[in-house]
Amino acid sequence: MTDEMDGKDLAERVRLIESMMTEGRRACESWGWTFVLWGVAYYVAFFWVAWGHFAYAWPVTVIAAGLLTAAGFMRKDCTHPNTTLGRAIGSIWIATGLSMFILFEALGFSGHMRDARIFLACAPAMLGLANVACGLALKWRAELACGLVWWTAAVIACFGSPNAAVDAFLAAIFLCQIVFGIYAMILESRRRKQNGAAHA
Amino acid sequence: MPELPELNPVIHGKLRLALLSLLSGVDEAEFTWLRGKTGSTDGNLGAQLTKLEEAGYVSVEKRFVMRKPQTLYRMTEAGRAALTEYVGALKQLLGAAI
Repeated sequence: MTDEMDGKDLAERVRLIESMMTEGRRACESWGWTFVLWGVAYYVAFFWVAWGHFAYAWPVTVIAAGLLTAAGFMRKDCTHPNTTLGRAIGSIWIATGLSMFILFEALGFSGHMRDARIFLACAPAMLGLANVACGLALKWRAELACGLVWWTAAVIACFGSPNAAVDAFLAAIFLCQIVFGIYAMILESRRRKQNGAAHA
Repeated sequence: MPELPELNPVIHGKLRLALLSLLSGVDEAEFTWLRGKTGSTDGNLGAQLTKLEEAGYVSVEKRFVMRKPQTLYRMTEAGRAALTEYVGALKQLLGAAI
């Protein structure tokens, strides 16, 4: 068989393998909107608490945002099968979200969340962890930078004044959820436009 | 001069090679997705997937999702090993051809 083949035919096979592997790994999931949604949810919950309804603000907002996220993914028009990387990224966020929900609800209902700094330090630290883990997996500097911003907010919550802790948390939400989410949505929109069917 | 390797004839077909390459990057894929990515006809795609299945390179699972039939294809360990071996042989041949 090999006698009949020339270098051109072999090179064509290599190109076919490369293009199909790239096609298989190409993700069409949209994540950007979830960052914006959760950013808005954090703001809603935060100002709801400031308005004086501490007990219900976070659980109600987080459950509502979780349901909206699930609904958004269920009606997605993306037919691309799951990739290992996509599953890993999803797992990081689901695990982080559940950890935060369990921890803060437990702290809240047990009455141990007396100092707001506990929340203002722990929440950004966990969000920083998720962002950095995803940023490393995706080799995406923008998301790594978001992780650093979250960690900075966590440190400010420990050492800064109460006002500085709140300001740092709100600024991190704006930068790492709203701005980063819109940036990711723009990138996803560009990627969708570029993606054409690669036929064998 | 070292002996040149033989290329696996099951994988060497363009469509079968494309299918295995596609499946190597995903957990599992639907028939319709594979058809869309390869631009192949239903008949040809079905025939080539059957050949890969007979060789033990892909596994098939048929199920119903919201009452609609769905055929899912997954690359097996044997399929992954065969593709890796094929790529290695291809590299060797290309090295010899240059």
